[in-house]
Amino acid sequence: MNLGPAVDALAIWLSGSDPAWWAIGLAAVAVWVLPLMAVVLPIAALGQIIERKVAAAMQRRVGPNSVGLDGVVRLVVRLSLPFISRAGQDRLIGRISSLPGMSLARTLGLGQLAADGVKMLGKEDIIPAGADGWVFRLAPYLALTGAFLPFAAIPFAQNVVALEVPVGALYAIAVSGISVMALLMAGWGSGNKFSMLGGMRAVAQVVSYEIPVGLAIAGVVLWCGTMDLHGIVAHQYNGSWASFLGWNIFQSPFLLLLACVLFFAGLAECQRTPFDMAEAESELVSGFNTEYSGMRWGMFAMAEYSEMILVGAILSTLFLGGYQSPIFENVIVALPVWLETLIHVGILLAKFTTVLVIMVWIRWTLPRFRVDQVMRLCWLTLVPLCLFALFGLALTMLIPSLVMPADAQATILGVAYGRLPAMPHLALGLVGHALVWIVPLALGFLLVIAARRKHGRQHPALTQLTGGA
Amino acid sequence: MSPDLAIETLGGERMRLNMGPHHPATHGVLRLVVDTDGEVVANCAPDHGYLHRAIEKIGECVEWPMFVPYTDRVDYVCAMNANLAYCVAVEKLLNSDPATKVIVPMRAECIRVIVAELNRISSHLVAVGAMAMDLGGYTPFLHAIAQREGVNDIFEKLCGQRLTYNYITIGGVGFDLHANAAAETEAFLAQFEKEMIRFNQLITTNTIFQNRCAGVAVISAADAVAYGLVGPNLRGSGVDWDIRRDEPYGIYGQLGVRVPVGQAYAGRAGRVGDCYDRFVVRLLEINESVRLVRAAVQLLPPPAEKANDPLGGFQADVAKQLRKPPKGEIRARTEAPRGEMGYVIVSDGTKVPYRVRVRTGSFTVCSIFNTVMKGIFLADVVTVIGSFDIVVPEIDR
Repeated sequence: MNLGPAVDALAIWLSGSDPAWWAIGLAAVAVWVLPLMAVVLPIAALGQIIERKVAAAMQRRVGPNSVGLDGVVRLVVRLSLPFISRAGQDRLIGRISSLPGMSLARTLGLGQLAADGVKMLGKEDIIPAGADGWVFRLAPYLALTGAFLPFAAIPFAQNVVALEVPVGALYAIAVSGISVMALLMAGWGSGNKFSMLGGMRAVAQVVSYEIPVGLAIAGVVLWCGTMDLHGIVAHQYNGSWASFLGWNIFQSPFLLLLACVLFFAGLAECQRTPFDMAEAESELVSGFNTEYSGMRWGMFAMAEYSEMILVGAILSTLFLGGYQSPIFENVIVALPVWLETLIHVGILLAKFTTVLVIMVWIRWTLPRFRVDQVMRLCWLTLVPLCLFALFGLALTMLIPSLVMPADAQATILGVAYGRLPAMPHLALGLVGHALVWIVPLALGFLLVIAARRKHGRQHPALTQLTGGA
Repeated sequence: MSPDLAIETLGGERMRLNMGPHHPATHGVLRLVVDTDGEVVANCAPDHGYLHRAIEKIGECVEWPMFVPYTDRVDYVCAMNANLAYCVAVEKLLNSDPATKVIVPMRAECIRVIVAELNRISSHLVAVGAMAMDLGGYTPFLHAIAQREGVNDIFEKLCGQRLTYNYITIGGVGFDLHANAAAETEAFLAQFEKEMIRFNQLITTNTIFQNRCAGVAVISAADAVAYGLVGPNLRGSGVDWDIRRDEPYGIYGQLGVRVPVGQAYAGRAGRVGDCYDRFVVRLLEINESVRLVRAAVQLLPPPAEKANDPLGGFQADVAKQLRKPPKGEIRARTEAPRGEMGYVIVSDGTKVPYRVRVRTGSFTVCSIFNTVMKGIFLADVVTVIGSFDIVVPEIDR
């Protein structure tokens, strides 16, 4: 759905046949930005709910944030695990619901979210005496901008995208870079040493981690041959009922590796534990947002959740088939457009949410890295891994094209997953898969074992502490 | 690159950062004046006194037994051990003269070990949980605090308080155990052991956590002794010293305390005396305390009719002795969770002490801050403070 004509029409309606710049701007905001915010802000709120619920359940807390998950758990277990016996389902539900507070309310504690919003709006807006006024005030808006703009290029369904850009992947990482400025400005403008340290850390970290993110995206671009996010999603469509086999992570171990790198680098990009150098509550007392209060702080929080969802969106689009269903995608595309759109948007939201839950889960499980460890992880682990994966990916694309006919290549490269190819190509395909999947996975496994051995044996006292023999 | 070298070669400038008195990682109102070169610490000077309550001066103004509630406030994270330290010191004073001799009933001695070790468990839970939180692991902290609630529940039934107990008295304990106490304690310990295994799987053996702590702020055994470190901080450096075993008081001599020491638990990256060793020593001490509680419950004689029964009673008669205690100066020390808690008591033979002086582990550990924090990252300052398990009221008193 290209909204360009709608912007033009609105601009012309506002100020005549040769629209003024302000009319174009207003029209663009009305047509693109407002609907986008209407979609993204509720998702960010959803992120906040998920964060609270998951954290409260993990920490076995009783309180407004942990109530009412009971019904959701019941529903999810009943719907998603139909293959488990009723008794098994009951046991699982009983186990999860026995966490404190899970069954205390039926409204999911949603009122808390509204109350928080009202509280933030009503709070006194404090600007410290030593603050650099306009830098301090501008930073939250920039943070939100950087977090929202990339969503414009994300396709939510076959015809639902705010901005049709042929270089969508490039656009997404380019505009998300704006948020670095926001962190630096917030850190500097607050006039607080802790904030400044947080801002500096944030810049060093986010700028560094943009490199693995870029390389991971480059891998997908190499594989799919396009930067258009629609094209990338379409490339992952295999026309069979087992549609998930067409997803990029199942195409090559190198793409799987790149997906992992993108996930962790994304975690670092949005400053989540274990990478929350910029906030580091116990070291820097919330770092760059120490001095912010009320709605300005709320905007940073919104930006944080939006960025997390953005990571989910980019990961889904590039590697997890975008808005496509994991199974029976071939049936869904044949449905009427309105129904197809509805289902696809729902599926993409489900994928966001899954990635979000994993990120929250990681946050409340792991402790934090140190600054130097974060940088070392980026430059000495993730970047070389990315380069290695890119190289491997290029080789797997190059070698078949040199030695075998085109349809055999298609089999090996996984384009024809879900369809059983004819005999000579089936044999070739199996051999190809063995080479493409089993060998690298085995190598990786050996590498992990070697690394563990190099790390040395665990001290017996620790084995005893963790309940080992 | 050392911070001084960096400043000389790069023409940098030092930044003075005030960590505290209100900073989440200083565990109270401790102020650290940190000079940094970027993220690297060049100098770190602790500044305390924000929580000073003149407890030692109060000791010169109140009668002997009336000081016990104040000892709760010397270290409220392990108030039982703080009570015990003072009471042991006063009993030592009274026993220095045969005329005023006090024999603490056996049952009271067992109860003292039970509550002291339970309080050590809860204090160490705060220590390891808070250190995990300082390093960004908030979930293990809450799990540890949830277990501490179990100890508090037991104490609440015992003496009605959850933080400052005022339970151990000179010559015994304030109240006898309630009827079901042994079974309740065992029930708590059984689930606690399972929960600690989960805690250790969650945070202790976590690679990020190990890498954050391993080799940071290494203190050699000689340094540890020279700077007067005590308790788990001393044992983390590999010095095998525990008052409960080496200068036993109460019935600790019969229990055979096993003392864990630092052994570079973190593996290849670890050094004896690093932050991880201090952390693990505390966890091992928790296990040892669980054993001691069980052993003391086994030794517990049945309750007697009279409170001052030397076997089954819980409170010896001391009122007369305390009106006219022997003159003299007494030093006594006990093993509290934060190391030796020592009392120097000067008596002039009246019902009010002439001088009460408290020697605590958190205060002496402040002296080594500057030495170990030179050249480490700002993020590690938090780790080091967490590994020393500082409790600020103990520093300031």
